[in-house]
Amino acid sequence: MQVSILPRVARGETNAIDECLDQYGGLVWSLACRLSPTTSDAEDAVQEIFVDLWRNAGRFREDLGAEVTFVSTLARRRLIDRQRKLRRNPEPQSIDETDGNLAAPQSRSRMELAEDGIRATACLEKLRQNERELLELSIYHGLTQTRIAEQTGVPLGTVKTLIRRALTQLRNCMQVGSRLHAEGGVQL
Amino acid sequence: MSISGKSDANRWEELQIARLLFGLSLEEQAEFDEFARKMPAEQAELFEHVVASLDVAWSDPTSMPLPEHLRNAIRSRALEELTTKVLQPVDKPTLVSVSAVRSGKLPWVVAVVCMALTVLTLVSTRSIEPVKQVSRDAAQLRAELISAAKDLVQVMWADGPTPISGAGGDVVWSPSQQQGFMRFRGLTMNTPTVEQYQLWIFDKNQSEQTPIDGGVFDIDSDQEVIIPIQAKLRVREAYLFAITIEKPGGVVVSSRERLPLLAAVN
Repeated sequence: MQVSILPRVARGETNAIDECLDQYGGLVWSLACRLSPTTSDAEDAVQEIFVDLWRNAGRFREDLGAEVTFVSTLARRRLIDRQRKLRRNPEPQSIDETDGNLAAPQSRSRMELAEDGIRATACLEKLRQNERELLELSIYHGLTQTRIAEQTGVPLGTVKTLIRRALTQLRNCMQVGSRLHAEGGVQL
Repeated sequence: MSISGKSDANRWEELQIARLLFGLSLEEQAEFDEFARKMPAEQAELFEHVVASLDVAWSDPTSMPLPEHLRNAIRSRALEELTTKVLQPVDKPTLVSVSAVRSGKLPWVVAVVCMALTVLTLVSTRSIEPVKQVSRDAAQLRAELISAAKDLVQVMWADGPTPISGAGGDVVWSPSQQQGFMRFRGLTMNTPTVEQYQLWIFDKNQSEQTPIDGGVFDIDSDQEVIIPIQAKLRVREAYLFAITIEKPGGVVVSSRERLPLLAAVN
């Protein structure tokens, strides 16, 4: 089991800063690039996220979830907040959207993933193909519902319904997986 | 508001998902907050946990490492704070929303600018050379400034009296470091032999009629452009940044005929 870094950051251990950047720098950077309209926006966002992280490191609780999920949650909050503020006309695109080629996400190997990620990937495979695609467009590529509707040709109302249904299924699946894991070590 | 009904429960889920994936409008955020006050905190975190887990599963940190200059800037900032034993947040940048500028404050701002620019006088020796546009270097320097400056002012560009459709971006300025950068998107490319852009900085310690020359510059790309500010005088307390379009080399007194962008500091 990986030793948590954030509690050490909160205690002011300077070497924990480097470890934190080693461990989560790439994750935060890749998220920022996906959800920012330009590289310089992504750079600004990453700096803000790490300031948030130093500030909130003491709030991380190992018993409530994986550290990487905590970092990812905090990063997404900041990125969506920035995206919302930046959203003027025309609507901003993410960096990887600007070339018009939306590649499907590559799941990391099981060895690399924390339990939450493994569980999420396994639950994702249980969704219908169109639901998975909509989640990829919204979560991975950061497209708005309107853009997803335009891109897929699916009516806006249906996009909203399908995304919500897919996330609800994932939530339920992950809760079950988590409970089974806690009770008997069964891993999805 | 009751949260017991099915429609409320549906709305609560809808808001949670919209917040996670797309962000909420001010009205939606108020609605979300009202629901959140009545719901157990962990319920609001379940979807967040799912999305964060997918973010982790789909991230690619090994093929997209944090750029070195960015890492160094973040590290420097963190270590600086750790050595003082206090992990304090950076001073929140002063953000002026476009809507604020466009609403109540805009007439005042425009009036000040127009009045000032009618008798605009250059306060110091003016550089004839346009500011060099070194996009990548400027981006790095800007990132470092944002990371290091505790007194950073950041304001969004808003339309001036003669707007350029689609032009936007922001200005960052550090009074203590006397350094800043302008970022533009959608600002029309200029032909330097015909006309150039010029920045003016209005300072509270300076007469409105004598704003500080912030440098002449060119836009030579339709992508995002970052321009370093070259203030010709010490800027003590900037309250307004203004962009004018002038003849090549800039002017001493602006005719204020073409003023596409303004950025007012709170």
